[in-house]
Amino acid sequence: MKTLAQHQQDVPGKVATRWDVMLLPWVACIVVALVVHFASPVLVNEYWQNVLRRVGVFVIAAVSLNIVNGYAGQFSMGHAGFMAVGAYVAGATTYYGSLLLHGSVNDPNFYYQGIGLMLGGIGLGCVVAAIAGYLVGLPSLRLRGDYLAIVTLGFGEIIRVMLELTKGQLDNAAAVKDAGAKLLIHLNGPSGFFGIPSYANLFWIFLFVSVTCLIAYRIKYSSTGRALLSIREDEIAARSMGVDLTKYKVRAFVLAAALGGVAGGLYSHIGANPSPTDAGFQRSFDVILLVVLGGLGSISGSVLAAIVLILLPEVLREAQQYRLIIFALLLIIMMIVRPKGLFGVKEIWELDWFTGWFSGKRRERKAGAK
Amino acid sequence: MSTAESTTALLDVRGIGISFGGLKAVQDFSIALPPRGLYGLIGPNGAGKTTAFNLLTGVYTTQTGMTTLAGKRIETLKPHQIAAAGIARTFQNIRLFGELSVLDNVKLACHLRGKHTLLGTLLRSPRFVAQEEAMRLQAMELLSIFGLERVADESARNLPYGDQRRLEICRALATQPKVLLLDEPAAGMNPTEKVELAESIRAIRDRFGLAILLIEHDMGLVMKICERITVLDHGQTICSGTPSQVQNDPKVIEAYLGVEETAEGVVGGAV
Repeated sequence: MKTLAQHQQDVPGKVATRWDVMLLPWVACIVVALVVHFASPVLVNEYWQNVLRRVGVFVIAAVSLNIVNGYAGQFSMGHAGFMAVGAYVAGATTYYGSLLLHGSVNDPNFYYQGIGLMLGGIGLGCVVAAIAGYLVGLPSLRLRGDYLAIVTLGFGEIIRVMLELTKGQLDNAAAVKDAGAKLLIHLNGPSGFFGIPSYANLFWIFLFVSVTCLIAYRIKYSSTGRALLSIREDEIAARSMGVDLTKYKVRAFVLAAALGGVAGGLYSHIGANPSPTDAGFQRSFDVILLVVLGGLGSISGSVLAAIVLILLPEVLREAQQYRLIIFALLLIIMMIVRPKGLFGVKEIWELDWFTGWFSGKRRERKAGAK
Repeated sequence: MSTAESTTALLDVRGIGISFGGLKAVQDFSIALPPRGLYGLIGPNGAGKTTAFNLLTGVYTTQTGMTTLAGKRIETLKPHQIAAAGIARTFQNIRLFGELSVLDNVKLACHLRGKHTLLGTLLRSPRFVAQEEAMRLQAMELLSIFGLERVADESARNLPYGDQRRLEICRALATQPKVLLLDEPAAGMNPTEKVELAESIRAIRDRFGLAILLIEHDMGLVMKICERITVLDHGQTICSGTPSQVQNDPKVIEAYLGVEETAEGVVGGAV
């Protein structure tokens, strides 16, 4: 019997440095973004392009939440809090950055610098959300599941209340210069931060969507992903097999928070003014719904659920006021028909379609008949 | 315990114990398991055998005594650190990762001996790819030893009971342990399977050069393969010795069968 290290010595001959494996998927992300960017204006009108941008944001939110709720099985209920952190940080960076550097916001002459500010802001929002995730996760992930849900729920509400307490938004360069570090408290309170230019076009949205999916995919199919799934399956067995529970839970939590921050950062750049309610429980629940319906642990499930559930209210405009009733019904039906969500832990390509779709059910029935 | 025995012991346990409130689940538990030793731990239901395992693997932290593995103190370590130090276990009520494939169950256990960076994972660095491949090779090698390579892609949950038990042992071995703790590996097996299991436990010990500590209710199995046996009752070690010594110990007979009244009077301890 060889040790792992001995096996590893045998391997390099077989697996050369695969630049294609390393790089091609990243290139593919850019290609996807370009295709969506140039194809959608041809196919749909501006209204639906806006809907598509919203879909993209929620795909990122769902896929990122899936890393902690799905893979690791830790029930976080504060994802909207992290999204709001990202949204406000990125939005304020673009807005106040433009005022500071250019004297006005949303000037066509400042477009490319504006894009730069947006990307910088999203990066900053991602980092701040990740730090927030670390600070919330490190103490609470030592606790059992229900406590984590309560702590994260509280986190989202704290963010919401803090945002509500902020002062009015500044609207000229001189005031921004005067305020200095105090800019942090000028986030316009309950009415929400407005006037952020919608720089996040379909290219940027879908670049981040595909990168997020790639990250989620590569985590899932790796030793880290197996460690997370093992925690969800059986914590006692996982740690007996040498999985450091706290380390992996915190890793998952920080990663989810960071990507949630990105989703928020994009959200504030699609013409949706981020407001304190975006940090609240209702929004967190919306994202949890996507993850649970798609299947805890399934990336493609989250993507599909996000697409369907964001498009559904648009299609059924007349039924808009019954949105929550329809969602609740959908959830109940899902829990009865497919309690593990649409795809369970599997991906869409791992299901052997026609025979496999209800095979679990069928097998159970057969077993019952015997 | 002679000094010669204690210095050569791979796993040296001295007087560990735990109480839950007023219940003294395990008290003053000691064992000196030499390299390649195959020892047994028996006792009636509720005697504290599994609790002893949980103490050894860090699921519970001992309140007394000390444990050393190959000269290193381990009694205060967390479970994953104890696994890294070289103790692996199976569970009385099978604890596989049901949704994961058989192969992934074993690969997860190989995880322990590798290095895992987030950046390497996201970039699919050459080292990451090589390590994943090495894990797959090692996992497949282990699975083929146990005849499970055919079902490698099956969900662990879907395996028949005997295969699940084998997979648990397979998974424990993938952590490359020095000491293997088996918690009732023969539970739910028929006599033929038990004979096979006895053979394979010996074979595992020889092939992997492990020390094995075994909890088992099946006396035939324990008496046949174990070199020394420790008997627990109500958390206390009531006897420790070779199978024949243990079999003839009056305290053991009392623990299992109760007190026997004979012509000469009461055999065993207090009524």
